Amino acid sequence: MIECSLLNKDLGRPFKPGARREATPVWDKDKCIRCALCYVYCPDGAIYRTEDGFFEADTEKCKGCGICHRECWFGVISMVKEE
Amino acid sequence: MLVWGYQHGKGGIGMDTFSLYVPNFLPCKEYFIPEKNSACPGCGLALAVRHTYKAAERLIENAVWLQAAQGNIFEGVFAQSPVGKSEPSLLRITSATAEMIICFDNEAGGGIDEALKKPLPAIAVAEGFQYVATACPSYPFDLYEKVKRALEVKGKVFIHMLCPCPVGWQFDPETTVKIGRWAVESRAFPLYEVGAGIAYHMTVQIPKPRPVADYLKPQYRFAELSDNQLADAQAFIESNYKKLIDTMQPDKQMTAQI
Repeated sequence: MIECSLLNKDLGRPFKPGARREATPVWDKDKCIRCALCYVYCPDGAIYRTEDGFFEADTEKCKGCGICHRECWFGVISMVKEE
Repeated sequence: MLVWGYQHGKGGIGMDTFSLYVPNFLPCKEYFIPEKNSACPGCGLALAVRHTYKAAERLIENAVWLQAAQGNIFEGVFAQSPVGKSEPSLLRITSATAEMIICFDNEAGGGIDEALKKPLPAIAVAEGFQYVATACPSYPFDLYEKVKRALEVKGKVFIHMLCPCPVGWQFDPETTVKIGRWAVESRAFPLYEVGAGIAYHMTVQIPKPRPVADYLKPQYRFAELSDNQLADAQAFIESNYKKLIDTMQPDKQMTAQI
């Protein structure tokens, strides 16, 4: 039986959501049309809008799932591997 | 260029009218706290919870949060079932104090039977709930509007959400949203709503369904399905969909409408 860890609130240890990320999304601002689809589909709410209207990922929250990369219509987002 | 190709109900102009730039109409405030969530990467449940909180504009404390893991839902919700989960027609959805019941269904611990044979909304309609709907986080604005509508209803509310789970269903976390979309497009999980003054209707119209193999094959938990089983699943889904359409006919709406 598989148990989901989302509803377990007390882990008993300090937890950093972005610690195990394998790749980070990077936006190409030349192609981006600022439609905010990446913001909508991020499960962790890691993507935020910057002052100039484009989007960035909060590296402390982002888990590197790649949904934004997959859902972007214009191929703006590329996943860059962490070192 | 129409991105959200679904029809809105009778609630006025829907968000989907604004096409591609509709995400910019969503409120920016986040109520779901991501700092402490230990969800896996690409979790469909986290996405559903995030949009539910966003629509409610608060943390819904009085709600019953169900996760359809094996044992969880059947003991929690269906505690009054006299015969257990093998007889779905006798199951009952009950809750003493909750303002709304939301079933976040990640199909954990279930085979193909549990993945396809889920009469939960039909049971809720038969139980006399004021508002019953199905939703999927792959269609976030549909989900958003349904939660908004459910919060206005005074009475019992049941929303059944299909949340793809990359770990349990064993697919690439990138494709979480795609899998949910394929579930709807193959008519395995039709999105509809009933109650609160709205007639039984589909909120997402699928004129040309894709074969159910597109939905089942990318999941590694169904990797061993044979062609015969796939054909059975296809036939089962089509018959189920026909039943659903039959209950939506205008002359039969009196029984369905509450």
